[in-house]
Amino acid sequence: MKIVYIMSIFWFLFVTGCATQEPMYYWGNYSSSLYKYKKQPKEENLKAHKVCLINIIDESNKRNKKPPPGICCEYGYILLKEGNTQQGLYYFEMEEKNYPESKVFIDRLKKFTITDKKE
Amino acid sequence: MKTRRLLFLGICCLLVLTGCGPKHITKYEAFPKVYAERPLAIIVLPPINETTAADAKEYYSTTIAEPLSFSGYYVFPLEVISEIMKNEGIYDTETLINLPPHKFKDFFGADAVMYIWIQRWSTSYYVLGGNVSVSIRSVIRSTTTGDDLWQYEGTIVEDTTVTSSGGGLAGLAVAMVATAIKTAATDYVPIAKRANYMIINSIPCGKYNPSYDKDREQKVIIEKVMKTRK
Repeated sequence: MKIVYIMSIFWFLFVTGCATQEPMYYWGNYSSSLYKYKKQPKEENLKAHKVCLINIIDESNKRNKKPPPGICCEYGYILLKEGNTQQGLYYFEMEEKNYPESKVFIDRLKKFTITDKKE
Repeated sequence: MKTRRLLFLGICCLLVLTGCGPKHITKYEAFPKVYAERPLAIIVLPPINETTAADAKEYYSTTIAEPLSFSGYYVFPLEVISEIMKNEGIYDTETLINLPPHKFKDFFGADAVMYIWIQRWSTSYYVLGGNVSVSIRSVIRSTTTGDDLWQYEGTIVEDTTVTSSGGGLAGLAVAMVATAIKTAATDYVPIAKRANYMIINSIPCGKYNPSYDKDREQKVIIEKVMKTRK
């Protein structure tokens, strides 16, 4: 009886101790993709980086996680630069909703990209 | 066999009891200002590359956001920040570094600024193995008080040795060649990422990490030289 008791304690410790926590964010292959684009800022690499970013956002939603900080903003910024204002602003808002502390930054970005266009 | 095991256990006990090895202090003792100020939004400036390794800067700037986010901080997208800076006429990192920290609060709403200096980046290859070693100095500075909240200075060493899976001398020769190739043509993105994870590890957790405010008593190991684990 005593052995069963002790063993169950060990079992409990084992189970709780080894439970690997599901990571907070899904980052996909962000670093490699961004590195590639920075080294060779070609159209092709930008396209691949955009795919990487949207994949992170989709995959995060699927796994019930927030997209990692900055990802929606980075994606929105690329869209805005390409002239896709509506979609771009949509992702800016997503960033701000997930991370309210980004408000000052996002507001500046909006002003910045819109005045940029008028020029 | 049994005596050997006992001896091993004995040595382990002795090591634990005498407590030799690196100095352990708690996160609170090491970085009390982080707990006092509680920064959340961190802006990471492009690293200053003091080495001759041309790519070191990109390796660092593309791999820092991930570990910092897992520590529970909001990290501004580095790419977007650097483009905006360029549009503002700030091209070189040196100019950025010299801006007073509170500017980043006014301009972006950042609570803190992270500076990184890459002091050394070297790859070495020796007969039985190889490694990549990176020396870094990094500081997180408050945009409110201008104080340094956290800092790290040290060297991260990544072993690039390919271990031979037996095969005697022939196997050793194969491993030697493999190590040489691996050290020469290594993909540094994962290495830079592991180095960043190691450096970031000592930062007290931010708001988005479940350990937020619960890690005061957690021990940090601050070593001059750290080896990455794969």
